[in-house]
Amino acid sequence: MPTEYFEDIKIGSSNEFGSKTVSLEEIVKFATEYDPQPFHIDEEAAKDSIYEGIIASGWHTASMTMRMMVDHMISGRAGLGSPGVDNLRWFKPVRPGDTLRVRSEVLSKKQSKSRPEMGTIFGVTQVFNQHDDMVMSFGTIGMTLLRPGSKSAD
Amino acid sequence: MTKKYFEDFGVGQIEEFGNRKVTEEEVIEFATEFDPQSFHVDKAAAKDHFFGGIIASGWHTGSMLMRMIVDFQISNSSSMGSPGMDELRWISPVRPGETLKVKSEVLSTAKHPRKSDRGFVKFGYTVFNQDDQTKMTMTSSILFGCTPIAEAS
Repeated sequence: MPTEYFEDIKIGSSNEFGSKTVSLEEIVKFATEYDPQPFHIDEEAAKDSIYEGIIASGWHTASMTMRMMVDHMISGRAGLGSPGVDNLRWFKPVRPGDTLRVRSEVLSKKQSKSRPEMGTIFGVTQVFNQHDDMVMSFGTIGMTLLRPGSKSAD
Repeated sequence: MTKKYFEDFGVGQIEEFGNRKVTEEEVIEFATEFDPQSFHVDKAAAKDHFFGGIIASGWHTGSMLMRMIVDFQISNSSSMGSPGMDELRWISPVRPGETLKVKSEVLSTAKHPRKSDRGFVKFGYTVFNQDDQTKMTMTSSILFGCTPIAEAS
């Protein structure tokens, strides 16, 4: 059962969570399936690229971030999925052996007019490596139920 | 096929490509690792949910789009990766058994502000299923190297 509904999510609140160390094997496996560019799958070719070594596919970084969000944030929420993300940026490469963590902040929220039993939470998610470098950020949009029987979030 | 460089992309260029069958096994496998919400991994629970059956993680759909971009658009190119995407929208759920394809349009091009040997191409991508229903849209940029001086005529 969810413990967190639309009303419980406070604007300006933030969470920090997750600790995911990514291995060379995982990077190559993901990219072989979904993003087989030389700098993601071929150590020799990657050395000669602008990245000077193998880096994770940005989709892999986003997917690892999603897993941390599901485990630590979304699983307790009365969530209904997401229509998308905005302004996703890969600032720095993620390399084998890096350990990622997530910071997520609630920026605003809006109850649906047409479906008042639900609302949208807008936030920003930032991902850092073990050196506290921000490697990725994106704007999040999450659909969330109001408490059962609740008519207004106010 | 000749290698594609920054200069080979012009605003308004449209490409259509890809033919990716989505299997239930792959949907569950991806989501078990990266997005284990019940409507992605649990067939019984998914039936009772909002979506009425198992659907692919949006990050899985994005990753399948990426694979089609690599295979059909940038495999023989000077791609140096991507700085990110401006907007990604999951328009309708992707379900097992569907077959995905892509329409790509060049929205803008810009030389790198500091490095004269490369430039950014902004693409608008739309992912459709076999019935031409829109599944996902994405606006994202790819950094390409310019044509090497020796090859430029």
